[in-house]
Amino acid sequence: MTADTAVRARATQDVADAVKDAAARRTPLRVVGRGHWLDAGAPASPATPLALDALSGIVAYTPGDLTLTVRAGTTLSDIAAVTAEHGQWLALDPFGTDDGTIGATIATASAGPLAHAFGTPRDAALGLEVVTGDGSIIRTGGRVVKNVAGFDLTRLFTGSWGTLGVITEVTVRLRARPDVDETWVVALAEDDAIGAACRAALGAAAAPIALELVDAPLAAALGLGKSPVMLVRLAGAAAAMHAQRDALRVLGAAAVGPPDVWQRLRAAEPPGSTVLRLSQLPDRIADTWQVAAGRSPSAWRHATPSRGIVRVITTDSGDTAATIARAADGRCTLIAERAPAALWAAGPTPMPNASLAARIRAAFDPAGILNPGLAPDSAPPPATEQTDA
Amino acid sequence: MTRDELGQALRAIVGPRGVLSRASELLPLSADGLPTYRLPPSLAVLPSTREQVIDVVRVLARERVAFVPRGAGTGLSAGALATDGAVIIGLNRLTRIISIDPVNRLAVVEPGAVNVSLTRAAAAYGLFYAPDPSSQTACTIGGNVAENSGGPHCLKYGVTLNHVVAVTVLLPNGDIVTLGGAEGETPGYDLLGAFVGSEGCFGIALDITVRLVPNPQAVRTMLADFMSIEAGARATSAVIASGILPAAIEMMDGPTIRAVEASIYAAGYPADAEAVLLIELDGLEAGIDDEVRRVQTMCTEAGARTVRIARDDTERARLWQGRKKAFGAMGRVAPALVVQDAVIPRTRLPDVLHTIHEIAARWNIQVCNVFHAGDGNLHPNIAFDPHDADATDRVHHAMREIMRACVDAGGTITGEHGVGLDKLEYMPLIFSPESLDAQCRLRSVFDPERRANPGKVVPVHACREWLASPAARALT
Repeated sequence: MTADTAVRARATQDVADAVKDAAARRTPLRVVGRGHWLDAGAPASPATPLALDALSGIVAYTPGDLTLTVRAGTTLSDIAAVTAEHGQWLALDPFGTDDGTIGATIATASAGPLAHAFGTPRDAALGLEVVTGDGSIIRTGGRVVKNVAGFDLTRLFTGSWGTLGVITEVTVRLRARPDVDETWVVALAEDDAIGAACRAALGAAAAPIALELVDAPLAAALGLGKSPVMLVRLAGAAAAMHAQRDALRVLGAAAVGPPDVWQRLRAAEPPGSTVLRLSQLPDRIADTWQVAAGRSPSAWRHATPSRGIVRVITTDSGDTAATIARAADGRCTLIAERAPAALWAAGPTPMPNASLAARIRAAFDPAGILNPGLAPDSAPPPATEQTDA
Repeated sequence: MTRDELGQALRAIVGPRGVLSRASELLPLSADGLPTYRLPPSLAVLPSTREQVIDVVRVLARERVAFVPRGAGTGLSAGALATDGAVIIGLNRLTRIISIDPVNRLAVVEPGAVNVSLTRAAAAYGLFYAPDPSSQTACTIGGNVAENSGGPHCLKYGVTLNHVVAVTVLLPNGDIVTLGGAEGETPGYDLLGAFVGSEGCFGIALDITVRLVPNPQAVRTMLADFMSIEAGARATSAVIASGILPAAIEMMDGPTIRAVEASIYAAGYPADAEAVLLIELDGLEAGIDDEVRRVQTMCTEAGARTVRIARDDTERARLWQGRKKAFGAMGRVAPALVVQDAVIPRTRLPDVLHTIHEIAARWNIQVCNVFHAGDGNLHPNIAFDPHDADATDRVHHAMREIMRACVDAGGTITGEHGVGLDKLEYMPLIFSPESLDAQCRLRSVFDPERRANPGKVVPVHACREWLASPAARALT
């Protein structure tokens, strides 16, 4: 194989061979899941694609254990299909579609609205098989739900954007699907009221599995009316639902939402959008929401109040993103999921603990061949691959 | 620097009463909760303030002396013991709860804060700290972070990892870094996730920010008793597979029940039963009694003789006390105790418990089982007399076979107690040389000189680049 010939791995050994070869030649590799690369305009350097889409399928699934082991190129939709047969699910809903792979979801630590109740990939991942930058095949964690044996490389590789190793196999914790799963749409008053609405929603005697705030323009784009809305996803045993619906009345009149509202929200961003994530303490959500408004009517916002995270989607050329980035400075944390080149050119925000991070990078990818230019190797995270979108 | 000179240098930081150097003073620090190991440190230093901790570590860094951070010493893996004459840094004088933010449900604590003291302080706001190891009345949150501790309620609420938001870490070289953060997401590698559970090998937590959880609206605690441990295991598997997620499912076998009932911790468990399950459901009031009935039915179908529901908080507390003090109750049986911490896939509970029973019979020893059944986290333990060489030998043989059986069933060697020294020999059972080497590489990033808790977690021969550390020999 030559340095610039794409590799399509069918087995872990193929990945190990490709990485070893690239390390020997010092030719960079770009790890690709389903190949739905999104051009962020980020200054990621050119590299030979190492495709994992053919490295897919179930390795082990014992429904009674509520754990699942799959190859990294398995799509979220394939996982959903196989687990649904047993009344179970992997409670991760990263933005994008279920065409994305589990490997990319873990590698980018991408989470969606369900993180409100179920956490992020770091909470779902139990163990990994990884090819590190020297071509070694290693295993981290295990296949059981509780495990403190050894240093926690599972957490280290989760969210490392393929810069420390290529994830080839993933074991995740599953959950039983609730009997009832319904989403309520609560129309809210103007933006001024959102702080109070978030407090009321988080304090209500209900246990929603997702609670998401959506601004008026995005609500309209999703077909949910003309005002800002709170989406409340209630789930559980049928016996528990009545009281939870009652408890939501404090928020105002609620209507049952369309069943595919979450898919619509996750896939809302038009191609080529800039997507920024702003975060602060949950009780600062109203302020973060304001920062995220920027000055452009073309931006959409939605938020997970319990996590203090506001996500902004904009299609304009970059002014909106730049304005928001300036406004965020010192007020909240800005993470760029996808950003135009102009924003990157504005200069990298310093990564926390850059020296530790650089030493970790050197320890696991000494030749510096894995996803060079990608977060968290460079800052800010260019996020060229949003869960493989 | 000689040991005496180092003692002087440390006294200059912490005062004369903050350094222990006589053999009699060091004796309590030469063991942890596992009585089968005894390793005295060369010195122990007990700082009272954060600044003193920093100064102590910087002196040790300058002198290239190895150290072991230690909390309450309740660990069960010989992890807080000093190998090769390292210095123990006792952190249990730093007990402050620095702040509680009830709105964002966060607390900041010093590493020596006792686990239960945080839950007590948070109670005023209707909140609690979820990880609840059985030693929670004594163990420290710093120690919990080091071990990534669990506890009965982590079945539903998650382990320490899932509750720590940020840690300010004093690295072994004396540098201070903040990992994670409460104010929004943290970009970059998940260094916080790597630090939690690093068993004191990556540095010392100076302060820890944790999540608090709202008290559940309703709690129901049930006790089901069975005439065989397999029946109890079947009930556990049935509940887990049903999709109901209890806050806890704990099992105790017949010998444990009888030890508890004969002790001051008697909880009213039926003494003739071969297994009891302690099942706690919590959450919203609405629907909880429906789940109780479903669990009751599953237990009965699996063979439960009776399923009793605690009528009030007093009865609930009594049922839990028996479980949480079960290891203490074993003290009545024999002077020494070994305990394992393997985790197996939950569907394998009945057959692995059967295998453990067979192994015990073959080696003619009495294994007690008290464990987190809902997670598949076993704690087979054996009380024995360490002065009886033959018995001790049989106990250790049996323990090794039990560990192998758990690994063969697809399990892991430790679910919450940590590797420490005790499980070092088992690490190659579950990790290849390449995988162990990767763990060594991570350790070297945080502690290139391997002075922080040397000799623990990863067998040294597994580290390709390992060189005999000068730190480990500095004080010998």
